[in-house]
Amino acid sequence: MLELPSISVKDLQEWSKLGEVLTSGHRLCSGCGAGIMARQVTLAAKALGDPIMIVNATGCLEVATTIYPYTAWNAPWLHNAFENAPATASGAIEAMKAMRRKQNKPDRNVNMIIFGGDGGTYDIGLQSLSGAIERGHDFLYVCYNNGAYMNCLSLDTHIMTEEGLKRVTDIKIGDQVYAFNQKSGELVLKECSGIFDNGIKKIYELNTLHHTIRTTINHPFLIVQRSRKNIENKLIWKTLGELNVGDEIVVLKSLAEGNSYTFETIKMSKLGDYKVNKLNEVALPKESNPELMEFLGLFIGDGWVRVHKTEIGFSIPKDTKERKRLIELTQKLFGITPSEVNPNDVYIYSVNLAKFIDSLDIGKGAKNKKIPSWIFTLPLEEKEGLIKGLLQSDGYTIGKSNRYVSASIELLKTMRLLLQTMNYRVGKIHKQQKKKGTFVVYRKLLEDSNYGYICFSRKKEPNVGKYLSQIKQRDFLADNPNFKTEKIVSINFIREEPTIDLRVEDEHNFIADGIVVHNTGIQRSGGTPQSAATTTSPPGKVIPGKIKWAKPLAEIMAAHEIPAFTASPAYIRDLMAKVQAGLKHDGSAFLLVDSPCNLGQRYAPEISIETTKIAVKSCFFPLYGTYLGEWILTGESARIAKNPDRKVPVEDYLKLQGRFRHLFKPEWKKKLIEIQETVDERWERLVNLASC
Amino acid sequence: MLKQVRGMTGDEAVAYAVKLVNPDVLAAYPITPQTIIVERYSDFVNNGEVDTSFIPVESEHSAMSACVGASMTGARVFTATASAGLALMYEILYVASGMRCPIVLAVANRAFSAPINIHGECTDQLVCRDASWVSLFGESAQEAYDETIMSFKIGEHPDVQLPTMFGIEGFIVTHALERVETMSKTDVEEFLPAERDVKYKFSPDEVMTFGSLVLQDYYMEIKRQQEEAMQNAYKVTKEVMAEFTELTGRKMEIVEKYQLEDAEHAFISYGATAGNAKAVVNKLREKGEKVGALKIRLHRPFPIDDIYDALKGIKSATILDRSATYGSPGTIVQGDIATALYGKKDVPTLHGFINGLGGRVLTLPQIIEAYEKAKVYHEEGKTLTQEWIGYRS
Repeated sequence: MLELPSISVKDLQEWSKLGEVLTSGHRLCSGCGAGIMARQVTLAAKALGDPIMIVNATGCLEVATTIYPYTAWNAPWLHNAFENAPATASGAIEAMKAMRRKQNKPDRNVNMIIFGGDGGTYDIGLQSLSGAIERGHDFLYVCYNNGAYMNCLSLDTHIMTEEGLKRVTDIKIGDQVYAFNQKSGELVLKECSGIFDNGIKKIYELNTLHHTIRTTINHPFLIVQRSRKNIENKLIWKTLGELNVGDEIVVLKSLAEGNSYTFETIKMSKLGDYKVNKLNEVALPKESNPELMEFLGLFIGDGWVRVHKTEIGFSIPKDTKERKRLIELTQKLFGITPSEVNPNDVYIYSVNLAKFIDSLDIGKGAKNKKIPSWIFTLPLEEKEGLIKGLLQSDGYTIGKSNRYVSASIELLKTMRLLLQTMNYRVGKIHKQQKKKGTFVVYRKLLEDSNYGYICFSRKKEPNVGKYLSQIKQRDFLADNPNFKTEKIVSINFIREEPTIDLRVEDEHNFIADGIVVHNTGIQRSGGTPQSAATTTSPPGKVIPGKIKWAKPLAEIMAAHEIPAFTASPAYIRDLMAKVQAGLKHDGSAFLLVDSPCNLGQRYAPEISIETTKIAVKSCFFPLYGTYLGEWILTGESARIAKNPDRKVPVEDYLKLQGRFRHLFKPEWKKKLIEIQETVDERWERLVNLASC
Repeated sequence: MLKQVRGMTGDEAVAYAVKLVNPDVLAAYPITPQTIIVERYSDFVNNGEVDTSFIPVESEHSAMSACVGASMTGARVFTATASAGLALMYEILYVASGMRCPIVLAVANRAFSAPINIHGECTDQLVCRDASWVSLFGESAQEAYDETIMSFKIGEHPDVQLPTMFGIEGFIVTHALERVETMSKTDVEEFLPAERDVKYKFSPDEVMTFGSLVLQDYYMEIKRQQEEAMQNAYKVTKEVMAEFTELTGRKMEIVEKYQLEDAEHAFISYGATAGNAKAVVNKLREKGEKVGALKIRLHRPFPIDDIYDALKGIKSATILDRSATYGSPGTIVQGDIATALYGKKDVPTLHGFINGLGGRVLTLPQIIEAYEKAKVYHEEGKTLTQEWIGYRS
């Protein structure tokens, strides 16, 4: 007979004082269902009073909680391998019995919990589990099912998007990012469908002559594979760990011609406003233009803005052609004449112009300036205007080579990426330190200063038409308007840093720091639902993701004549009641937990619990228990059985997750209906079997 | 000590020896020619003659996994397998040694598939040589009996804490009825401590994490400890064998030297082949040949110095190796010996002969032929590395 203990909210309050078994300090991803589920399971077990022991199969839960010499487990815990946790537990259980037998002591009740993921349970570990259950050892096996084998970039990576260059941390789901279409070789825009916080990882820096990127060792790059006969040369993906110095990687050469940027209207101050006694009238531009960009270039190099003082200042010495040009530009663009207050500085007093410049996202002071993302979307002529302005401020030109100096490394990084989209050759960022009192460009330093500089020059276009095959030896993509290849000059370990990764629809790649990179891998398992996309069951033109339904694992386990349950971390009391029933049962018991994985199922980490809740509400993952032919629906599933109006369409569940996104394309509409039909059919069968 | 003599097959000898040890757990899966060990022991369990928990697992992979789980709780654990079963265990052999579980494993050495064959060959055990297990070979049912008992003592020694496997050749030893001098329960109790001396164990009373993820920062240190334990195992095996010799009167050594004192030429072998080699030595001695035989009983840790001492001054050595290796620079054991002797003075030329695969009988005339061939090669200053004997070409 199946009997579930009834657990009240008061019980939960009491148990919460028992102390965590999986303590803080583990390194599971934010939003990971496994950590939530493990805490609920162990708390329910602890509440039973008898000592608990845990055997954990290889998997996220094991790896992320026990990085030597640390552990997050406040309980006896053992890991052996991937596919053998039940056998390991059976050894431990029987050994403890035998040792007590030898000492003439009676058996002692220990609540043995085994945790395994869906890979370790549905697939490689199924035999070990089936064998251990058949032998009847006393344990509860908890399978945390996230439906795939789940597995980055440094946080200051910059991603090329439709709206210009963005820091990876500023990318949002739904943003259009640039990608490389491997078939046509074109630069295309694709939707970013997932962002993943991948925790602290080891970061390596890859350098070509003109590009630099920091990623984890397993991040894939697109490289040229050259064969002996050049006709068979092709582009393939390789992870950073497989790359060597000298390999040619695909990088961005230039973006498509952009459009002038329309500025957002700012709230203008007028006479009579609070603290506004005098107002210098200015004409503010509506759209970007080459001369405005030149002015901004001067501002980025030598300027600052202080809105509260209604001033825009420039450190440009008098009697220079730069100061002359600044005054000329200011008059022409804004209809206002700057004040030459002292030999070193020029001021423009206008609250509205200060507000305008402040709104452009350029940064206010010397150390935090940058090239804002919108500048990347401008026409080439306007970008050239900016460079012209920049060179007049902190730059200088020697022959054909230009050098730009700045105390803002972010400015140098973004400027380097901008120049790379404009057909310039740009060297690496040189970092230097100047002592107090040294002259830098025109100014004497007041304190020790850290700064950097980059060198760049205009690229000479090779005669592609005439010498294509020779040029292709050097640049495999010489005939591609937007991309080229560059040789790797070094790969170095930097340090451990927080990392992030993106998922991009269709092309599965994006442009990070000017380099084409692939998103990371999630492989299908026996627990992967039908039609779900993983990296080993991708949604293709003919096959929309995984072909078959997941194995009915709980039913397979129930066929061993043991109690088998399903549970969801969204329904805590239901889950805990099942844990306790399973542990109280004399012999093996099985619990299948829907454990959402935001990385693999592709949704934002904060909706983990929401996702698993809707899995239950849509009857995609019903809550039930079964033992010796008796079936009971529990919790929300029991309520749905009594009142079918509570059931939500399976689409509500699927649309939350990127792994089912392709199903919402018109061509797979039929598949969507098919999935709904299968879910309904399975649900109906379950309702007919079960009592509520 | 009271000597009793019984007729036993090699497998039975192992089963009876394990019965005296009375381990806490025996987890095993049947595979010919190991089956009799597990069958006999199941009788003991079901007749209440032992306290052991017998776990009849569904595969060898689970057998070794259950052994690791059991050993981690501080229990004394035994298992047995052969050929494909040992190959299936391979992954967990490394876990067992890495987690420092002194499990004892009896291997009924059997050829690998394909073609499928159930008979004697030592390749299965030799390919586990890098798994950080102490590895012994036995020549007879008597040695199977003795090595079973000694294996527990070697592996469980506080300075070792490593698993131990010992091999006896399928059918040739496992199924042949031989004379075995047995020990009494008191003898074994005197020789082997009643319980393992375990500092840390997987127990409901201790909050401890075992088997954690170890990355680049600590992995090598942990692996280095295993190597140091292996070095200790050499000394411990010597001590345990000396103690065992004293207790039983049966001479037990890491390597067994047979008529090597004045020998100019030698046979080197291990396991049952050593018996053939010794018979050939007797024959050749009658003809006036100055020849002896060396039997390697301990294969890991490899007894470098003992082998050098035994072979110093010998001109040529004929290595009889009942194991297969393909495209390699010599037979498996030849490689070990060559490495051990390289650069040392007065060492013999080594001539490796692969023989007896899949239980093929190695006849005395074939051994003599190999011996003559080795001598010729020695005279010419050459060595034989992948010489196969006893097959139809």
